[in-house]
Amino acid sequence: MSDTAGTVPDALKILVAGGFGAGKTTLVAALSEVESLHTEELITAESIGVDDLDGVESKTTTTVALDFGRITLDARTVIYMFGTPGQRRFSFMWDELAEGALGAIVLADTRRLEDCFETIDFFERRGVPFIVAVNCFDGIRSHMPGDVRIALDVDSGVPVMLCDARDRESVKRVMIELVSHVLELELSGA
Amino acid sequence: MAVPGDGHPDGGGRLIRPYSLTGGRTRPSRSDLAMTSQVVAVPMMESDSELEPEHHSILRSCAAPVSVAELASRTRLPLGVLRILLSDLLDNGHVMVHESLWQRQRPDVQTLRSVIDRIRAL
Repeated sequence: MSDTAGTVPDALKILVAGGFGAGKTTLVAALSEVESLHTEELITAESIGVDDLDGVESKTTTTVALDFGRITLDARTVIYMFGTPGQRRFSFMWDELAEGALGAIVLADTRRLEDCFETIDFFERRGVPFIVAVNCFDGIRSHMPGDVRIALDVDSGVPVMLCDARDRESVKRVMIELVSHVLELELSGA
Repeated sequence: MAVPGDGHPDGGGRLIRPYSLTGGRTRPSRSDLAMTSQVVAVPMMESDSELEPEHHSILRSCAAPVSVAELASRTRLPLGVLRILLSDLLDNGHVMVHESLWQRQRPDVQTLRSVIDRIRAL
């Protein structure tokens, strides 16, 4: 509403996607000024198609947890980072998350790169700018970004970088890379 | 109306079925409650007898502007339920909602450059 404009911040939304255990929650926590904000959504079997809910009766609900973090840039600008639930059954939630998103960080675990395929497809289809950050939390740089790029078959324009999701400075570099990528796309008129 | 079965999936102690808080409604009356929208309570002169305890709990949690996502986290209400209760409060003039400028349009080049600088300075 216009009468509150100027006194409340405008929010930028950044998604953090990746397979289970890839380090999404850790990455969000590394930069968030608040600890483990968490919400859940109730979903009904009807809302996602009964066939997708293994072993869950129709007309029941289940919950999907959503981790998020907040970064206040100044009095007028706040970034929210949302760790997106990875499972296909929560695809209905991805639509809402993608709506108005500035961009996405696809956090890749080299042991399970295939977990990223679906996410990357989704962002490409929805036109959400994204970068790939390979989480080297074990300290072993077993993969080079070039190898990961080939394995994931991402467009040559999509940045692929290594990161440590636990390290604040490393996560800052990932965020800067993402926003720079969005800026480049904007400048190139994409 | 869709309600949970015998147990809450996360084993938590919710004592009432979530959508009983909303009178069985599963859709809010408005659709402008994005997760990043900021909500703030409008100070009330006198209490509104129409409001349920959950409405009051929401109002207490947004005395200062707060995002819909954070409000869900603070009140421990599922997002879908919160949105329905929030739309009641919005309809009755008890809250104001500010949708982010960037929910429907991409930030311009100048904004993006400033965001990069500010992240660098964190």
